[in-house]
Amino acid sequence: MTPQRIGLISSAVPLIFGGGRFIVEWLEEKLRDRGHSVETIYIPAVYDPDSVIEQMAAFRLMDLDPHFDRAITFRPPSHMVKHRRKVCWFIHHIRTFYDLWDSEYCDLPNTAQTRALRDTIWRADTAALASAHRLFTNSRVVADRLRRFNRLEGEVLYPPVMHPEAFRSEAYGDEIVCVCRMEGHKRQHLLVEAMRYVQTPVRLRLCGLASNPAYLGELHRTITQHNLAERATIEHRWISEEEKADRLARSLAAAYIPFDEDSYGYPTLEAAHAKRCTVTVSDSGGVPEFVEQGRNGLIVEPQPEALADAFDRLYRDRNGTITMGEAAEMRVRELGINWDAVIARLLS
Amino acid sequence: MLSNRVPYIRGRAEELSFNLVRQLQEAGHQAEEMRIPFSWSPTERLIEEMVIARSLRLTNVDRVIALKFPAYLIPHDNQVIWLLHQFRQAYDLFDAGQSHIERSPRGEAIRAAIRAADEDAFRSARALYATPGAAKRLDRYHDLHAHVLFAPLNDPELFSGGDDGGFILAAGRVGHAERQGLLIEALAHAPGVRLRVAGPPDDAAMPGALQALAERCGVADRVIFDLRFLPREELAALVNECTASAYIPFDEDSVGYAMEAFQAGKPVITSTDSGGVLDIVQDGETGLVTAPRPETLGQAMARMIADRSRAACLGAAGRSLLAAHNITWPKALERLLG
Repeated sequence: MTPQRIGLISSAVPLIFGGGRFIVEWLEEKLRDRGHSVETIYIPAVYDPDSVIEQMAAFRLMDLDPHFDRAITFRPPSHMVKHRRKVCWFIHHIRTFYDLWDSEYCDLPNTAQTRALRDTIWRADTAALASAHRLFTNSRVVADRLRRFNRLEGEVLYPPVMHPEAFRSEAYGDEIVCVCRMEGHKRQHLLVEAMRYVQTPVRLRLCGLASNPAYLGELHRTITQHNLAERATIEHRWISEEEKADRLARSLAAAYIPFDEDSYGYPTLEAAHAKRCTVTVSDSGGVPEFVEQGRNGLIVEPQPEALADAFDRLYRDRNGTITMGEAAEMRVRELGINWDAVIARLLS
Repeated sequence: MLSNRVPYIRGRAEELSFNLVRQLQEAGHQAEEMRIPFSWSPTERLIEEMVIARSLRLTNVDRVIALKFPAYLIPHDNQVIWLLHQFRQAYDLFDAGQSHIERSPRGEAIRAAIRAADEDAFRSARALYATPGAAKRLDRYHDLHAHVLFAPLNDPELFSGGDDGGFILAAGRVGHAERQGLLIEALAHAPGVRLRVAGPPDDAAMPGALQALAERCGVADRVIFDLRFLPREELAALVNECTASAYIPFDEDSVGYAMEAFQAGKPVITSTDSGGVLDIVQDGETGLVTAPRPETLGQAMARMIADRSRAACLGAAGRSLLAAHNITWPKALERLLG
């Protein structure tokens, strides 16, 4: 394919680095490897009801056409930009105005004014997304929301990890590993709680950084209070890719139990590349798009006791666990999660 | 760190903002660069660009350092402006008849909007720093007295100086405003003098045009062209080896090339209309300043090559001047974060 000038346009909160940035930066490198001229543009944005319309308008006004053959957008409101060949890889809505509207997670009152604001955002989003040359999502969850709220069809394009080849499988150990930021909504506390109820010598390892020291303190307190230090380990620091691969290579399985996420989550995929199955929960959102019950992982109720049962089952039925780990790796291929496929679609 | 961007263009300002972020990080701060796309043509576009900047929002930082128009219009309560340069087409370049903004009621309205938005941003910033050229214009157009803050060299250790290889160096972006063509014409008035032109050309036609000019002037055998982006090490090696550095842009704020020459103990040849560089290059003290004409520039180059020990003295004086100003990153960060 002839090299193109490709702009990767996304919004960001300064100094917050997570999945929303990885998808952009990994794609940048993979496009460069294939000879394209890529420029990544992060524009600051805040999902603040009082200024969100203005911010959306600002994105709309940006002059990108002359610079790029193609513009790929990610986090909202970057999909608002205008470009003759705009490709939206839509990773979530501004959820307060969509599925979380009028829920306990929405701190806006339901008034004529806020409803008018919501309707304006819906209309603007729908128009901007409908004008895209291609519309992709990172999960079925997001595609379903596009259909429900915007009446638009988005093609699911699952994001691969940066270096799948960096992960490997060694001897299966006795640890359930969870490598991701330690945050309330990632619910590592349920994993620690679960360790109170396990019947087997299965162990737990949590790796990652906590942005809120109170949450980390809570995890440590639970461990101390219930004498779990022998069997639950917390590595609170930035985990390098090598360390991550290392932890997974000798684990028994992985756990990833976020609350209502929009995608299967990179941790699930990383575990699969290391031939490890993932334990998740029924209200995790997009994770069950990857994890199939009993085939390449376990999906249980978001309760410590249920998680403990799952851990014990993985420990006792080691052969079954290994089979599920291998099936997880196969699942990556089934879903076509690889950079060649992703880039072929994005540049189509 | 907020600034603007033209996709795929990387020059001195981009290098500075990148280095500023790196220096902040090395000093233990969390810092990130966000550069907003900027277009200025047609002139009405400038109004939209200001609306964009005013409409964006940013959180999660203790401080914003903004470098360029219109990025400093993004609202933040704790913003420090380090003005690298104004949008000069609305200021001195307009006065000099070199702006794309037309002299008409419509052009006046656009200019007035830019100046009003600037005035507001400059006055509401927590602190206002500026490069020497920008500071002069702040004084002239806004009656504002900004603290002058030079951009420190990021890698002074590379410019350690060295034996003089008997040639004049013209380093940096190669374009019409940088006037490398004038230096080639000047060579005809500097018998035997050799010139090296090193840097990325502004457009694809430039290399051919300069080569043709050198042939027309009969100096092609005395010019070496290296028209590409040079890695810092390669650039520094050339600076360390030259007898003198020639930097003769038309009215630019940038003093980086002169600072690199001084750091290496090399004198600078510049011209009376080159702008900011005249703040540090003084005729007969740290270099030679002449009219922007082939004859006078040629004489200056010939003098440097004819009396190389004097050139070395001027260069040494430049290095002392730089040391006296103590232009270092720790100093700059102290001021920007103060």
